[in-house]
Amino acid sequence: MPGPGLRSVKDAIDDLHRRTLSKLARPLDRLIYLASTRDYNTGIYYHDGLAVIHGQDAACQALAECHRETFRELIGTSLRDLVTQMEDYMASVHLSADKFILAWKKLEPYRVTVPVESDPLATEFLFANFRTALAIVEMRQAHPPPLARGASPAPSPAR
Amino acid sequence: MLQLLFFLAVGALLFVFLLVLARRGKAEGGARALIGARQALYTLRSELLPHDLVARIFAREDLEFVLSLRSQAVQSMFLIQRKRIALLWVERIQAQIRHLRHLHLGSARFYARLEFRTELSLAWNFTILLVSCRTLKAAIILGGPYAAPAMVGTVAEAATRVCEISARSLSFLTGAGLEGLGGSTGSLPPFSA
Repeated sequence: MPGPGLRSVKDAIDDLHRRTLSKLARPLDRLIYLASTRDYNTGIYYHDGLAVIHGQDAACQALAECHRETFRELIGTSLRDLVTQMEDYMASVHLSADKFILAWKKLEPYRVTVPVESDPLATEFLFANFRTALAIVEMRQAHPPPLARGASPAPSPAR
Repeated sequence: MLQLLFFLAVGALLFVFLLVLARRGKAEGGARALIGARQALYTLRSELLPHDLVARIFAREDLEFVLSLRSQAVQSMFLIQRKRIALLWVERIQAQIRHLRHLHLGSARFYARLEFRTELSLAWNFTILLVSCRTLKAAIILGGPYAAPAMVGTVAEAATRVCEISARSLSFLTGAGLEGLGGSTGSLPPFSA
């Protein structure tokens, strides 16, 4: 069976950017979102809305391409930026910082967020950066910097 | 006399048969080396030498950020992680360069018409590169990932040069010819380092 045409994959990528990815400003959020559309057993990406318009194959290829693109974007991100993204992501999931940090340290969920065919060095580099960023986020939670301490809201009851 | 001629003819036939077998073995080994070389070139160009990745791994900006946090634990963790990645980078470059050198020392001249000057230039660059890799590795082990930034540039540039010369001399590897040998289907990306 012939695969989807280049045109339909490109249309699906544009559609995905316009309707979904443009609403996720942080590359980290995009990486997590795109990885979540992938079946863990088969590695095939699913998106019902995209598949209805562009066909399953084109939708799958578009999601895979956007996933690779986001991965490359995160590889090029500085550590400072990654820490900010992680803190913002943590705030957006409405979970206490303690629970978030514990889960990320124990389960290392970022391990399942990389594209299948990403090269080992880049993948290891990103994981190393995630570990360091997590340590920085944890340190900042325990010892907020003086400026942030004055401006931060009262600690949540969970802490 | 007739018996002697008969045995000589049998001996000659056996010799030709062995010669054919030996040449076939060399050709198959050569084909494997060619596929390995193509994969080494692909890995070097697409995974190890892209400028953005190399710059990111050895970015001082990250070190300065970590130092500004004034946390010994974070600092030590960051340096351990970065050192591991930097060593992984050097070791993978060394491994891929050894693949290429193996091909050029062994079977490349059976397939590619290499000029003496090209061979000499390749040999020189291979030597420079492998020595630089060893020196850089030692520097990273002893002084950490930021110990020899100039050496990182030297290794990346030398590896790019070796890739260019090697790719030119093995340009016949592109296209349908190699697919027939069972090589990887990805096309070689352009140099970016």
